[in-house]
Amino acid sequence: MTKLKMNRRTLLGTGLAASAMSLATPGILRAAAYPERNLSVYIPTREGGGADRNFRAFSSIWKDKLGAEFEPGFYPGASGRVGYEIYMGKAEPDAYNLIFGNMGPEVLNWAVQAPTFDINDYFYFGRVDTDPGCAFVGAESAFQSIDQIVEEGKKRTLTVGTSRMAHPASIGILALGEATGAKFNLIPLSGGKNTVAGAVTGEVDFSVLTSGSVISAGDSVRTMLVFGENKVGDALDNAQNINDAFDMDLPEMLSSRAFGIHKAAADNHPDRFEKLVSTFNATFEDPALLESYVAARGTPEYLNRGGVEECGQFVKDMLELGERYKPLLTGA
Amino acid sequence: MGDAAIISTVFLETIGYWWVIIPTIFLGLIVGGIPGFSAANTIIILMPLTLAMDLQMGLVFMVSLYCAARMGAGIPAILVNIPGTAGAAATPLDGYPMTKQGRGQQALAISFVASSLGGLLTTIIAIAAMPLLARVGFYMHSVEMIVVMLFGISLIASIAAQDMLKGLIAGFFGLMLGAIGTDVVYATPRGTMGFLELYDGVPLIPALVGLFAVSEAFIIIEKRVILTKKGQEAMENPSWAATFEGVRDALTRWTHICWTSVIGLIIGVIPGAGASIASFVAYQQSRTFSKTPEKYGTGHIEGLVAPESANNGVTSGTLVPLLVLGIPGGATAAIMLVVMQYHGVSFGPSLFQQDPKVGYGMFIAMAVSYFLMILTIIPLSRYMSRVTTVPTIYLAPMIISFTLVGAFVPREYMFDMYLALAFGVVGYIARRTGYHVAAILIGVILGPLLETYFLRALKKSEGDIMVLFSSTLGNILWVALVVSLVLPIVFERRRKKKEIVIQ
Amino acid sequence: MADDPNRAPKHLGADLVIPVLAVIFTLYYFSTIWNSPWTAQVSAFAIGGVLLFICALYFIKVAGQFKRGEGRFTFTSLINFEDIRTGRVALLVTTIGFCWFIDELGFTLTTFLFLWTSMAILGAFKRLGLVTIVSAVLALGGWAVFILAFDTRFPRGWFEETMKVVMANG
Repeated sequence: MTKLKMNRRTLLGTGLAASAMSLATPGILRAAAYPERNLSVYIPTREGGGADRNFRAFSSIWKDKLGAEFEPGFYPGASGRVGYEIYMGKAEPDAYNLIFGNMGPEVLNWAVQAPTFDINDYFYFGRVDTDPGCAFVGAESAFQSIDQIVEEGKKRTLTVGTSRMAHPASIGILALGEATGAKFNLIPLSGGKNTVAGAVTGEVDFSVLTSGSVISAGDSVRTMLVFGENKVGDALDNAQNINDAFDMDLPEMLSSRAFGIHKAAADNHPDRFEKLVSTFNATFEDPALLESYVAARGTPEYLNRGGVEECGQFVKDMLELGERYKPLLTGA
Repeated sequence: MGDAAIISTVFLETIGYWWVIIPTIFLGLIVGGIPGFSAANTIIILMPLTLAMDLQMGLVFMVSLYCAARMGAGIPAILVNIPGTAGAAATPLDGYPMTKQGRGQQALAISFVASSLGGLLTTIIAIAAMPLLARVGFYMHSVEMIVVMLFGISLIASIAAQDMLKGLIAGFFGLMLGAIGTDVVYATPRGTMGFLELYDGVPLIPALVGLFAVSEAFIIIEKRVILTKKGQEAMENPSWAATFEGVRDALTRWTHICWTSVIGLIIGVIPGAGASIASFVAYQQSRTFSKTPEKYGTGHIEGLVAPESANNGVTSGTLVPLLVLGIPGGATAAIMLVVMQYHGVSFGPSLFQQDPKVGYGMFIAMAVSYFLMILTIIPLSRYMSRVTTVPTIYLAPMIISFTLVGAFVPREYMFDMYLALAFGVVGYIARRTGYHVAAILIGVILGPLLETYFLRALKKSEGDIMVLFSSTLGNILWVALVVSLVLPIVFERRRKKKEIVIQ
Repeated sequence: MADDPNRAPKHLGADLVIPVLAVIFTLYYFSTIWNSPWTAQVSAFAIGGVLLFICALYFIKVAGQFKRGEGRFTFTSLINFEDIRTGRVALLVTTIGFCWFIDELGFTLTTFLFLWTSMAILGAFKRLGLVTIVSAVLALGGWAVFILAFDTRFPRGWFEETMKVVMANG
């Protein structure tokens, strides 16, 4: 697959150019009011995907509060690793460079295999949404309910499609297996599109995926179970929360998009960081945000503001879960 | 309104958009011809424009761009040995030798006719047999796909026929390079030399342009132009006759166009499979059932017709699962899904009840585009083919810069430029020492796909290798594979016997 | 294809380059998956095993040819004086230079310099006016498409910065 730019992104390119530019800027100018130029946002996934849509919807409101444009740069590869490595390795920690990532699967990466940088050198400060994983079957599947699936899973090992092993939705179904004694064999189908296709065509018995992607698959699939609260009701076929259905106490298995920043940037430029946080919060209070999400065909129900603390807790939970399920996720 | 009435209404409306379709065809030809660009990323770039159009116009625009880009990818593949996308990787096998013989104009005309007719035919079949075709994906699971991949990979053996050991070394070296990247189940990095950029495997465009084009650029500077002596004479007097000759050559092989494009259609409707597989499989099948398999690779017309009609068959094929099941068959179909959803169209089993005009409209737009392409593009082959008369002292540096830039474009990592250069050096060494670059390339392209399906099947059966023979359809395909490997040998024996008898 | 596999294998050294590369790469690859889960190993060991086997067969064949005096351990079919005379070595150097300098000088300028130098060398420094015009037109065309229209992430240099200022002010 190939990709290209939709809007102007000057100079965020190799990061080298970006840092050269900031060094070339006279010191006096740098002391001027923040932000005095556009911000670069590193997105570790492909252009045109869910993160892209989400970013555009959110930043279209945030930019007015902050008074500067956000210029996205897409750095897909290695399940998001490439984007983080470039952000941490090449982007200047000056609060003009942010990362927009998914705290669920991308943080699970670190639990499975550590990156080259110290993961405490960046943190997420602005959670935009939370999107629970769910289990679903193809429209023609014989399974009518999650109970039937669990019953069948006790008789034989069921194959379960997932976009990749290290994903919150994968952990959700493994946890269900542990709780009920049903046997599930995770089959990574690389990517949401293929995971839906796998369930529809019967390559696998059923699939698990972030619910946002399942909603957009429309009536080609039927949702059976949500690994968290079903905030959208009918759009996910009124499927039950796993904790209610099986009397479990599983934390919500979420994809969660959030803005992150270098720790050094927040430490060295507390004023700039403060401005980012306050304008981020103000964006959530603006009713235009909801309209922007509806216009972009997003799922506004999933908008869910979170600050440094909530994000920190989320990351901590993810790392713990990753550690617990590491043997199953890595085959080690 | 009955289906026939809807089809005829939509047909007339689509014809009314000729003024959108014709410029889009030229845009598609250009983006298809630049390595690294494709219909999918062009639609993303032009997204603001696409979204601003009304539903039907946007649909006509995207579909004609898709068809034209597929056809455009064949142009540099034929003229300068640069396949613009993986789907065109089998096109230069016979297209480029034709160009060197001074038959570039004929080759382009053949490719255009084969593409358009193949596309047109498969579009009509798709409209007629849509519900049936959509079922193909329900039977072609990982086990069956392993065998389909092996059809394509067995081409290595055919290519290697002249020097079996060297050919196999090249093919397996390619498969090994294709195995770079994380394993598809547990994401363990393998053979990446520490480069994160290689975690997702060897990126195809840099490998493609490096092996074929960069290495070729270093070879062609030996001569003043890329044409052979005879080719230069043939190109001296450009005339429309050569275009007509190409059109005639293609039309007289209409049965060949039909069945190779149907191969493309069937592979296209399987979600996840794509044009690169289809064109290699079609080429391999075409060679297997040919009376003159030894001519393939030397500028044989069937060798050009097969991949070109097959990869355009894929184009209509990828729309079938999108419309009937709501699952896109390929990257471009996935982007179309996003745009259509933006307009409030929901895909899936209910589409033909709710929005039959959209469902039929996409195929009709495709048919109309292919028809208009026949009229607009074929006359251009005369002018395009002049590129081959440019002296190599200008052409070689242009090819190198053009392809290195193209290698960069899909992911925008400088790494990919260096990678294309490295593949260029490997390709050059291979050419100079008698190893087939096409064999390496088949390995690099199809190897990772084969492994993906193989591991998926093994993971499903929890490691039981007998899963490979667990399905009826799979077993039928295995038998067909063996037959298609043995048949050429039998033919060859029989022919030799005949020759001896005659002598 | 362009290759001629029937070329007499007199320069056995050159013919060994690809198989030796293949063997080295395969062994390196094996070293990276030695302690990995079975899913990472199964197909790589199968393909790599076959590759090592064919390479071994080929080495035996070459050793036989060498013994019978059918070839020499030379590399002349891969690189020889002719390559310097035709400018092939120079073209390789300019290509590497293109990749090397594009980060510093930016896309447009490097493309121009690469095209100009390569064409000038290959054309034995004749018709330099034409070479200059062709290189300039292509480089500017590339700038218009990749920088101006599509805003790709190609490295920006002196030329791109200047043009940006010019366009902003005019």
